[in-house]
Amino acid sequence: MRVDPTYVSNLVGSLDQTQLNEQQLTAELSSGVAINSLGQNPVGSGENVILLNQIQQDDSFTQSTHLVTGQLQVADSTLGSVVTQLTQAISLATSANNGTMNASDVESIGSQISGILNEVQSLANTSYQGQYIFAGGQTSIQPFTTSSATSPAVTTYNGDQDVNYLQTPNGQKIQLNVPGSQVFSASGSNSVFGALNNLVADYSSGTVNTTQAVSDTEALSTALNYVSQQRVTIDNSITQVTATSEAITSDQTQLTTAQTNLMQADVGQVSTQLSLAETQQTALEDVIAQLNSSSNSLFSKIQA
Amino acid sequence: MGTISSAFAMISGALNADQAALSIVANNVANANTPGYTQETPNWRQNAPIDINGVSLGDGVSETGATSLRDSVLGARLDQQQQLASASSARLTALDSVQALFTPDSGSISSTAGDIGSDITSFFNSFSSLEANPTDNAKRQQVLSSAITLAGDVSNAAASLNSQRSALDQEASGVTSQVNALTSAISQLNLQIQSTSPGADAGTLQDQRDEDIGQLSQLIGINQVKTENNGLSITTTSGQLLVAGGSNFQLTTGSVNGVTDFFLGGNNITAALTTGGGQLGGDLTARDQDIPTALSSLDQLAYSVSTSVNALNNTGTDLDGATGTAANPLYIFNQPTAVAGSAANMSVVMTDPNQIAAAGLGAGTGDNANATAMANLAKAASATLNNQTPTDFYSSFVSTLGATVSGVQAENTAQNASVTQLQTQNNALSGVNLNDEAAAMSTLQSSYQAASQVFTMLNTLMAAALNLGDQTTVA
Repeated sequence: MRVDPTYVSNLVGSLDQTQLNEQQLTAELSSGVAINSLGQNPVGSGENVILLNQIQQDDSFTQSTHLVTGQLQVADSTLGSVVTQLTQAISLATSANNGTMNASDVESIGSQISGILNEVQSLANTSYQGQYIFAGGQTSIQPFTTSSATSPAVTTYNGDQDVNYLQTPNGQKIQLNVPGSQVFSASGSNSVFGALNNLVADYSSGTVNTTQAVSDTEALSTALNYVSQQRVTIDNSITQVTATSEAITSDQTQLTTAQTNLMQADVGQVSTQLSLAETQQTALEDVIAQLNSSSNSLFSKIQA
Repeated sequence: MGTISSAFAMISGALNADQAALSIVANNVANANTPGYTQETPNWRQNAPIDINGVSLGDGVSETGATSLRDSVLGARLDQQQQLASASSARLTALDSVQALFTPDSGSISSTAGDIGSDITSFFNSFSSLEANPTDNAKRQQVLSSAITLAGDVSNAAASLNSQRSALDQEASGVTSQVNALTSAISQLNLQIQSTSPGADAGTLQDQRDEDIGQLSQLIGINQVKTENNGLSITTTSGQLLVAGGSNFQLTTGSVNGVTDFFLGGNNITAALTTGGGQLGGDLTARDQDIPTALSSLDQLAYSVSTSVNALNNTGTDLDGATGTAANPLYIFNQPTAVAGSAANMSVVMTDPNQIAAAGLGAGTGDNANATAMANLAKAASATLNNQTPTDFYSSFVSTLGATVSGVQAENTAQNASVTQLQTQNNALSGVNLNDEAAAMSTLQSSYQAASQVFTMLNTLMAAALNLGDQTTVA
């Protein structure tokens, strides 16, 4: 039977292949990454793109939640202060309405309520990071201004009805603001500024039209309830943001684990493969050395 | 009745034959490492017997030259397989460079640079962040800088693909001159073979011709057809004549639509060469199929992202309260006019972050409706992207590219194994086996020694006969 006389060069080919294999395994070990090129694992490469996308989306959302939580908390505490101020105004008005006060006391109450009005207006004009939080979409314009040209004075809303939402990675929308008009100057009996301005006018002269003042005080109570209701919206959003942020963080942890499993080299497995490849290389080298050192043809046996 | 003289003639013929055979062994050993050399064996022929008085007497041996141990069918199979293996090797080399542009992102921060998948995510995430605070300058700046990163990485990838394509184009046209040199050499050898050895194996000349065909097989896909007088015709795989006997037909190149096309006798045979095989086939497959496929996917991505983001930004309200108009559109990206070329031309034209229209049409500048809408583009399936989202599209793009690479890799491994197998078979038959040569040399040495002994003995016998008993006259 005839054999290929150049079999040593085939062995060298195998040796090259083994060395290439070792090189790849060493690269995997040193980088710790299992997929170093698309061809190595096409499906895994595609999956990796999707996983990274979701992880980064989650990460970005978590960062956004820190920011909006701050803004929502400022809105919440502002509305809390408004409620306190309004409660005080109502108790002042109630004491003025019971008919036992003299004119100067009534005037003093009128000026205290006027002070509360100013305080509430400045709370309604609260800004967060330079943006008015109760101005709807017109966050660069001071939302509430009061004109004292008429009596009662008129507080005007300069913002709009715009509501912003933060969208979660799964498409859920969380309300980020309540337009100032909805909180402070809603139409009819719910208007905080309307009721306050009327009370200030009621007490300004020292003589109280009790029927009118009682009706205006009731209007302020209704408005206070309405403010509390709007505050619930903000509180709900805070709860929602916190809950979603927690859910997203745990989702991100799972995704990161999946992505790490996909991309991380299995050190044990790769080391075993590398050790096998090294053994193979040594064996091949020995075979080649043996073939070269021994007489590799009959010529060496022929005596001249 | 045989005579001493005829015995002399026979044995001297045997000595000549042994010498001739020994020189064939010497030639084999001398060419043991010559590429393309085919082992030769001596042709021994028993001389025709002579009838004398009804008795048939042997008339010795002749050595009538050497025969190359060649299997032309095996050789042709090896050539064919070589064409396939060369094609997939060339294609694999090109695809390796292509896939290097889209190395999977391991997820660590240092690896995200240059990864288009991460760029897409970061870009749309920057709109999500803007949702939380639509008037924040840092967040607006973030949108622009992530847009610049995305556009830069996409256009760099497209530029690299284009330059790889032109490198392949140059490589392919460089192959032409090698092909022409080889076909011209083959036609010359055809002429020599037809004139010196029309009826039989032409030995060394045929070795050279086979070697040239082997080299040609690495370059392009060919078919070989034996013709009369030991001639050979070579056509491309699709049948265009390259060599016919003593004449050869030169491949020429010309530029068509910015790439090199290949012509034979005035016909454009580029498409046929692409599927034909050999290095040229592999180069052309990568140049005309693989790279354009990758480029067109990037174009689709760039076109879809640029146009959809531009369209939304143009209809929103920016931080200055402005909305895009026909004369002054609020475009973030260079607005592409057609899908083709979108990736290479992708760039960010917006310089002022205030122009990002986070607010909806007619809304106050603190509104975030349009930022939400632009962030939602990340989840929107686009007709340009085969009804996929940008990330899904990129994901399936890398999977498809990876599958192509791994498919060609598997194909190449199988073809190389098959080439090695055929090469082993061919070497077993045609390669010089030094053991065989040593054995043949020993045998010939013995038979030469034996013949010499016979000659010496005959000489003594002849002397005895001539001297008729007197030992001294003739020695």
